Amino acid sequence: MDLSPDINEVVRYLGYRGAEPDDSVRAEITECIRELQKAVTPRFVYERFPLIVKTESDGTPLLCLGDLEIRSRDLAKNLEGCCGVYIMAVTLGPGPDRLIRRASVGQMSRAVVLQAAAAAMTETWCDQINERIRQEAERDGLCTRPRYSPGYGDLPLELQKDISGILNMPKEIGVSLTKTLLMTPSKSVTALIGVSDKPSESRGRGCGSCKASANCPYRA
Amino acid sequence: MGKEWLIFDGGTGTILQSRGLRGGELPETWNLRRPEDIIDLHCGYLRAGCDIFNTNTFGANALKFPDDLEEIVTAAVNLAQEAKRRCGREDAYVALDIGPTGKLLEPLGDLPFEKAVELFGEVVRYGSRAGADLVLIETMSDSYEAKAAVLAAKENCDLPVLVTVTFDGQGKMLTGGSVDSTVALLEGLRVDALGVNCGLGPEQMIPIVERLTEVCSIPVIVNPNAGLPRTEGGRTVYNVGPEEFADRMEKIARMGVQAVGGCCGTTPEHIRLTAERVKKIPFREPVPKRRTVVSSFSQCVEIGGKPVIIGERINPTGKKKFKQALRDNDIEHILREGLRQEDSGAHILDVNVGLPEIDEPQMLSEVVQKLQSVLALPLQIDTTDPAALERSMRIYNGKPMVNSVNGKKESIETVFPLVRKYGGVLVALVLDEDGIPSDAEGRIRIARRIYEAADRYGVPREDIVIDGLAMTISSDNTSALVTLETLRRVRDELHGHTILGVSNISFGLPRRAVINSYFLAMALQSGLSAAIMNPGNEEMMEAYRAYCALAGLDPQCMQFIEAYAGTSDRAPAERTVKETAAAAASGPVNGSMGLKESVLRGMAQSAAEAARIALKDTAALDLIDRDLIPALDQVGKGFEAGTVFLPQLLMSAEAAKAAFEVVKEYLKGQPQEVKGRIVLATVKGDIHDIGKNIVKVMLENYGYEVLDLGKDVPPEVIVDTAVRENIKLVGLSALMTTTVVSMEETIRLLREKKPDTRVVVGGAVMTQEYADAIGADCYAKDAMATVHFAEEVFGA
Repeated sequence: MDLSPDINEVVRYLGYRGAEPDDSVRAEITECIRELQKAVTPRFVYERFPLIVKTESDGTPLLCLGDLEIRSRDLAKNLEGCCGVYIMAVTLGPGPDRLIRRASVGQMSRAVVLQAAAAAMTETWCDQINERIRQEAERDGLCTRPRYSPGYGDLPLELQKDISGILNMPKEIGVSLTKTLLMTPSKSVTALIGVSDKPSESRGRGCGSCKASANCPYRA
Repeated sequence: MGKEWLIFDGGTGTILQSRGLRGGELPETWNLRRPEDIIDLHCGYLRAGCDIFNTNTFGANALKFPDDLEEIVTAAVNLAQEAKRRCGREDAYVALDIGPTGKLLEPLGDLPFEKAVELFGEVVRYGSRAGADLVLIETMSDSYEAKAAVLAAKENCDLPVLVTVTFDGQGKMLTGGSVDSTVALLEGLRVDALGVNCGLGPEQMIPIVERLTEVCSIPVIVNPNAGLPRTEGGRTVYNVGPEEFADRMEKIARMGVQAVGGCCGTTPEHIRLTAERVKKIPFREPVPKRRTVVSSFSQCVEIGGKPVIIGERINPTGKKKFKQALRDNDIEHILREGLRQEDSGAHILDVNVGLPEIDEPQMLSEVVQKLQSVLALPLQIDTTDPAALERSMRIYNGKPMVNSVNGKKESIETVFPLVRKYGGVLVALVLDEDGIPSDAEGRIRIARRIYEAADRYGVPREDIVIDGLAMTISSDNTSALVTLETLRRVRDELHGHTILGVSNISFGLPRRAVINSYFLAMALQSGLSAAIMNPGNEEMMEAYRAYCALAGLDPQCMQFIEAYAGTSDRAPAERTVKETAAAAASGPVNGSMGLKESVLRGMAQSAAEAARIALKDTAALDLIDRDLIPALDQVGKGFEAGTVFLPQLLMSAEAAKAAFEVVKEYLKGQPQEVKGRIVLATVKGDIHDIGKNIVKVMLENYGYEVLDLGKDVPPEVIVDTAVRENIKLVGLSALMTTTVVSMEETIRLLREKKPDTRVVVGGAVMTQEYADAIGADCYAKDAMATVHFAEEVFGA
């Protein structure tokens, strides 16, 4: 599979805010991507669940995905009008973490470039699985919504535990959670993708839709 | 096991689901809530003709069942026994089933190795007490976790231990292990049988089974899924029916495996047909393969084919800087030495950290673990301290080389039991109570004695590598000849493998590299299997590569060409001198101009070179004040102004560091100023340490000494260090909101125990408001901000 991230994304993750990196940094980025491509073992798992939306007595929306119940206003907004939700988890495997650890011994400049490149590659991998899901939904006559992850808005990180269990992440893709709910390997993402029988006006992905965008160093 | 066909049972989860197990419900709870269903499940397989069946304990461990683990495991074994009675199958064996914990072990994840051993050990104790006949460790997708489970089983019961692991379609485990590395590890741990289960259907497992039967000397188990899964109306279904499954399993059985069964999606019908078909095939016992293999978590090195290079540089003997690094607990220095040797072409790294004044068991095991977290080369654990050896072999992820045993009774009695328990390829020195025999005959006699000891301790002979002992020719003119004869006789008479610390041969002579490289070629020609040497020594590497090319061990001379294409025949030493002179001549007239420029452009090598040249006519302190500091300041200001970005900032920092090291070397012996000592740590629960590492590089650049406590550091450790070392400034990083609480806790404890210490905090989620709320003295938005705060605390 081809996991070539957009170099401009890597540059953005490095905090360039639209500035142009010089040739040596560009060369370093290309080299790091090549090294990462040899080290990654990309895996994914996803499953579709029917969605039923209820409202709790205090007005909080209660989203029921099969046996899973989620309380979140922001996710409810994202999933407005949806009849189902895909839950997905992807990872690049333990290779990138090892490369970054290795570079951190004595060459931090390389470690930060590897870190940014691996983050961009994780996004690329997410996009590819997202696209697969979009096509699968399309075959059933459904449209997908922008993906939404635990930790966004008011969607609690605690949800990671449920997702890990439902998708059997440790066994299926080798991703496990630390006590503090971080994923290991670190180049991993979980997300929810709503599906609806009506196309939605594209509620933006990217920086425009993020509350923290004003002061963010990674802003596109 | 290994004498006749054994049939394992099939899937559990899929059958329990069809009986109403809900998604997210723990199957093990049924041992207490729905015992009849579990007995029925077992009976289905017993009637289908399986010989070994698994207790319903796959996910049973104290992480999932903190309260009633004993009850659940005991019930599981009792239900299995009850099923045997009901079916009249007293001949069948009850396997205590052990699956993965679902947590990743350190250093990849946050579960400590010994904690994993403890978790598994608890299950083994309950299960064996309740009467299980054997332990089956299965569906392991991390070889390190498999090792923890095997140790737990062996240390808590005397039952046979069987292990099956899960590979993907490329033959890799989730954490990178291959068939070869897994077999090396598990055979080394002396399991009774090993194999593969889950993940794939029988067809996809065929290439894996092929390799397993090629390398494995003990019985092989194959338990595939019923093909590949797909979801149908919220249920997982598998695409290979009983007939087709039995067909494929017959094919697999003919490949030379000793036990077959099923995993997810297989039913009693799958197993019944498979048993019927397989038991008609003539049974083949496993054949010993006699391979000498060491492994890491993912790589294997075979000894006895192409000669192997073992890097010798991780060793304090004769190295002042290395000794100092050990005393200062500067593990990074040691890791860098390891990485350099890997880049130079070492296949295995020797690891020796023996110094009288350090806690060797602690240091050696820590170095072994840290090395394994940054590189994949197998390691050779080198120590004379039995406690250090055991602790390091225990936490080693793979099958290590062990350096060493010798012919002395005490050595044999200490080292062999450890190799028997943990596995390893053992370097055997041919010396004993009477010293080193002066002739080959005496050395061969000791070698024979060590092989006999291996037989007695149940260590396979192929796991012994004889060290023929290279002794300097400067004191005994014939010593090289004796060593070479020993090598030949081990190869020809004992059919064994050999190893040498090559460079000892030239001790006390000038131009040692000349003697060493010729001796290496002679030794290789005499059958040397592994050379312990410095892979950074170009002459010796030339001899090695030339030997491989000449001896037909380098197909099409590819590796030789890759190493030397485009280089000239001049000696490397000469080359360096001439090129440097040329560079100096063509470069800026004033060397110090070059230095500033090199730092600004982030070119480490050229910065070091420029510093070296400039020091010829510039005072060291002038160089620092006039060039290095201004260059750093310029880059730092650029970073703050948003014209220089993080990679460049760090590249410049690394260039400055390279130059500083040259200057330090020059000033050796003179007192050197440290501006202040700072503790850095990523707080408990957080494992993302990249930001902290960036800050460390910058602080060191500005002349501060950093005590780096690493990541996931408990508050007490940070506070104790601050108190013990009388630290004025502590820097804490946290990436996630979930771990900022540990940051707050650390600050609270610090205020209580050492109120005069200042605290600077940073990290992705950190803000000024947040920093204020948890009581930090300073919020640093980036590495430069931390430097400025340090200047404020210590006075610029």
